[in-house]
Amino acid sequence: MATATATPQTLIKGGSFLIEDRSPDEIFTPEDLTDQHRLIGQTGREFMEQEVLPHLDEMEAKKPGLLRELLRKAADVGLCGSDVPQKYGGLELDKISSIIISEEMARDGAWAATLGAQQGIGILPIAFFGTEAQKAKYVPKLASAEWVGAYCLSEATSASDALNAKTRAVLSPDGRHYVLNGTKHWITNGGIADVYVVFAKVDGEKFSAFIVERAFAGVSPGAEEHKMGIRGSSTTPVNLENAEVPVENVLGEVGKGHLIAFNILNMGRLKLGAGCIGGAKHLFAEAVKWAKEREAFGHPIADFGLIKEKLGEMVVRIYAAESMCYRTTGMIDGMLHGIDQSAPDAGRQILKALEQYAVECSILKVVGTEVLDFVTDETVQIYGGYGFSSDYPIERVYRDQRVNRIFEGTNEINRLLITDMLLKRSMKGELGLIPAAQRLRDEILGAPAFEEAGEDGLLADEARLVAGAKKIVLLVAGSAVQRYLQALADEQEIVAVLSNLCMDVYGMESALLRTLKKARSTSEDECATEIAATRAFVYEAADRMESEARRALGRISEGDNLRAELAVVRRFLRRNPPDTIELKRAAADRAIALNRYPLIEPR
Amino acid sequence: MKIVVCLKQVPARDSLLRLNSAGTWIQETDISFEVNEPDIYALEEALRLKESQGGEVVVCSLGPARAQQAIKEALAKGADRALHLDDPAFANLDSFGIARAMAKALDAEKPDLIVTGLQSDDFGAAQTGVILAELMGLPHSTIIMAIEVQGSAIKVKRELEAGFFQFIEMSLPALLTIQSGINKPRYATLKGIMAAKNKPLKKLGMADLGLSAADLAPRQKFTRVYVPEKRSKTEFFEGGGKDVAAKLVDKLKNEARVL
Amino acid sequence: MSAEVLVFAEQQGGKITRPTWEAVAAGQKIAADTGGTVTVVVLGAGSSALAPELAAVESSGVLAVESPALSEYTPDGYALALAAVIRSRQPQYVVFSHTYQVRDFAPKLAAALGSGFISDCLGYRNDGGRLVFVRQVFQGKFSADVEFTGEPPYLASFQAGSFREDAVRRGAAAAPVSTVAAEVTPEQIRSKPGERFREAKQAVDLTQAEVIVAVGRGIKAPENIDLARKLADALGGEIGASRPICDGGWLPMDRQIGSSGQTVAPKLYVALGISGAIQHQVGMKGSRAVLAINKDREAPIFEVATYGVVGDLFEIVPPLIEEIQKAKAG
Repeated sequence: MATATATPQTLIKGGSFLIEDRSPDEIFTPEDLTDQHRLIGQTGREFMEQEVLPHLDEMEAKKPGLLRELLRKAADVGLCGSDVPQKYGGLELDKISSIIISEEMARDGAWAATLGAQQGIGILPIAFFGTEAQKAKYVPKLASAEWVGAYCLSEATSASDALNAKTRAVLSPDGRHYVLNGTKHWITNGGIADVYVVFAKVDGEKFSAFIVERAFAGVSPGAEEHKMGIRGSSTTPVNLENAEVPVENVLGEVGKGHLIAFNILNMGRLKLGAGCIGGAKHLFAEAVKWAKEREAFGHPIADFGLIKEKLGEMVVRIYAAESMCYRTTGMIDGMLHGIDQSAPDAGRQILKALEQYAVECSILKVVGTEVLDFVTDETVQIYGGYGFSSDYPIERVYRDQRVNRIFEGTNEINRLLITDMLLKRSMKGELGLIPAAQRLRDEILGAPAFEEAGEDGLLADEARLVAGAKKIVLLVAGSAVQRYLQALADEQEIVAVLSNLCMDVYGMESALLRTLKKARSTSEDECATEIAATRAFVYEAADRMESEARRALGRISEGDNLRAELAVVRRFLRRNPPDTIELKRAAADRAIALNRYPLIEPR
Repeated sequence: MKIVVCLKQVPARDSLLRLNSAGTWIQETDISFEVNEPDIYALEEALRLKESQGGEVVVCSLGPARAQQAIKEALAKGADRALHLDDPAFANLDSFGIARAMAKALDAEKPDLIVTGLQSDDFGAAQTGVILAELMGLPHSTIIMAIEVQGSAIKVKRELEAGFFQFIEMSLPALLTIQSGINKPRYATLKGIMAAKNKPLKKLGMADLGLSAADLAPRQKFTRVYVPEKRSKTEFFEGGGKDVAAKLVDKLKNEARVL
Repeated sequence: MSAEVLVFAEQQGGKITRPTWEAVAAGQKIAADTGGTVTVVVLGAGSSALAPELAAVESSGVLAVESPALSEYTPDGYALALAAVIRSRQPQYVVFSHTYQVRDFAPKLAAALGSGFISDCLGYRNDGGRLVFVRQVFQGKFSADVEFTGEPPYLASFQAGSFREDAVRRGAAAAPVSTVAAEVTPEQIRSKPGERFREAKQAVDLTQAEVIVAVGRGIKAPENIDLARKLADALGGEIGASRPICDGGWLPMDRQIGSSGQTVAPKLYVALGISGAIQHQVGMKGSRAVLAINKDREAPIFEVATYGVVGDLFEIVPPLIEEIQKAKAG
């Protein structure tokens, strides 16, 4: 692989963050980016500033041919084939490079969706699951954007439950075609695509994927949807009316479409999460600049505590999300290292590696989209009336970003998935959650352990809190499984609490390890803002976790049992809260001084 | 055609610059750096000449280790190889010293054309290119807005004051300083970025160049760097049209200096 | 022998250029501060014809350096000729205005002489006989004190406007003029300059404009924009507008300045009848000087203005155009 990553990471099991401790050296952080990574980011930024951002109004007005032209320009730069094997006209970039691209492209939601549909869910199903002939025929033309691709999974009555598709495929009597009937909905690039990856059920049963050319008889996109946001992108239904698809265009195996449908989403979720974090950083810079420009009562509003609180909170949340994102992607690159991308089964190996981190990818989808949602909302607030005016760019961002919590699996679906995947892996013995929960139970029931000797050093209290937080997840999960057994899936609120706990643990630990890693290579002084952001995040996450755990346990347990569990929660999250107001002010002040999100160098 | 592009890495334009505690220069920690903007135009011009004339583009930059980022950017955009002049003794050189070191490095290259930006965003002395031409015995021209190759000679369009231009012809080898806006610089493609890591990058220090500290002795030194005095508050003018007009013209001429 | 300050007089097509007088003013002041004498040097074929005009300023002499090889400006010709003069006279300082021509040859001259050249200075301070030159660095974000370290001669150029033309002292009598032949031959000149020309004015990106005259609602009617255009022409600038003017179609959208238009930073920004709401201010706050003309003294534009006139723009602008034209003709 033409990797730009400096060092391969240790192979780490997906989901193991709950039960294993990591050292700072084991995680990838934004501070580990190479010159090449930075140049890729710079190209992404320049591409956006020169080719995309000047055309946003034309995009919203649906100027004919514009999206295709922009995709062609993106392809010339290499943005369409970043994840595609070199053999098929791609660049085989490492995934750190991919997420850097996503971060930059996300400055406009409509464009990010358009490009994402091309270089991600448009190309990758074919690049990863296609036969040699299919790959040779379609992938190079998609990588060069000579053809535009689209991914057709959702239907009017099935989206999150995609396997419930109504679109049918029937083999023609001569055995040479499948005849497809049905309508796929919410198809990004639907109106401009030449090639669709369509999911349909053979004989109404066997969920399968097909490569469908727009030129095939019976294939036609419907009218453009009228949308709240990302209006510059094309979103249409795709109608299949006795569409004749040659049998050689079956993608993967008949009846195995779910392998394609779901595995490809891991990559989509990772990139969407990364994109949202990138978008949040760009938007944050606008919020800071505005707060410095805008005066009230004779002062820039950036001087005021309530504005600083917003800016500080944004920095804190972005920092944790960014730390999780680069850590996860570094692990994926570690897993992908050494895969020969020209091998016939390379795609499957890559997706298997991604599947290993499906939990983390779902976490990033939820965390990234919710961070951007928060940052956008607060930016509108800082802009005040100007944030509400369509004459200013923030209003568009507000509308554009709303879809992020809906597509690539709603955040609700992803919350269910996070817990579900973790528990399934435990059941299969792939992840040691059950023994760990058992050990914890013994520890609790046994004599109260001596308080661990307080280690000193940078962020030592925070590290103890992270260790305690992991035990909270095991405690609540253990109680929930014991109480509901297989019926836990019906307790969606509890399942979501468990996901929320996991997300906070992952965020706390990722921010902590990143800060410690930077402090080792620089000095505590140079990491002052990172330390402030980490502390603020860790303590506020502990507050959230305590509250969430109480909420879940209040349903799961009762009586003495409940009282005992709540005491354990308090014990594991025992803390002396710092002055988080001051910590966030410090983070805000740094941002105000630098005119931007302060914890990563601009590209 | 062998074209050398001299480029400098400077603090990014939108960086928040702070002075060091001694007040002798800026604090270089905690800021980001980028390629000096006029040098980006010079690089683009060199790449275009290579594309139309064939040949090779060699990047030459003097600076500490961080300057490699600027060099790699140039390689990613299409330069073929690079010379990185890096030595602790190169810190705090003036324009003359920089040009002297570069002349030593470039004499051996025997380029047909050397291009560089018309000035740097940090010092802004607008001298290094011209001094380099003198030290290498090359004809030169400055503030160039177009280059046309005519066999072994070039015809260039030089910008003059007040919207004037003139064409200047000279034979190669020669040195040109390039005005910003001469072209639309490209951005590096991802392929170019990946290819850059395999391109030759030669590091050259004092010993490699056969230089001694005396050769680079500065002719001028910065003794203090400081924040200029703030612009005064609005100055209001009262009275009749003609009277006010005369006062304003005086201000526009002698303070705003636009007349 | 007292130290000499050599002042370079720039000529263009047989005329002394205006920045020359600023260089003379600088040179006279440096001579006064260092107890030296001023000599003005002018180069060119037929440069002696220009000497009398230069001899009118207070100096110890004017030196006209003549050669057919100097009939047109070339960096080779000027650097060679001037280097010979400097080598023979050994002045303490050589003073220039920082013009395009000086930028083109003075660094070469300094390198040939092995001298220091502090370029584009805003001024200097006399620190007990030691001159400390002040120049901008980091695009004007900071100022720097710079001193020469090696042996004289020291070369320095001053930014336009650093010294005032009207500060030049005239001599009681004409200074002595001497003419010398330049030590330069046509073969030594390696570049061939063409005629100066101007291009038809193209549509300009406002971000590159040095002067912008922008109009707001106070201009009242589309036909009044002509007045602003005349002012822009007089100043050699571009016309811009606040959002309402472009929304109303009085000027095309590409003239709009502000958060939804272009962000500009000219040397001079003239705001005519613009109230200066924040969305406008963010697009022009970076301007080096702002002249605001507005009826309303409380208009926010005055918060960012360098010069303010409270009044009717229709009364103020016409005489302003006249005065500008007069100043430019003078």
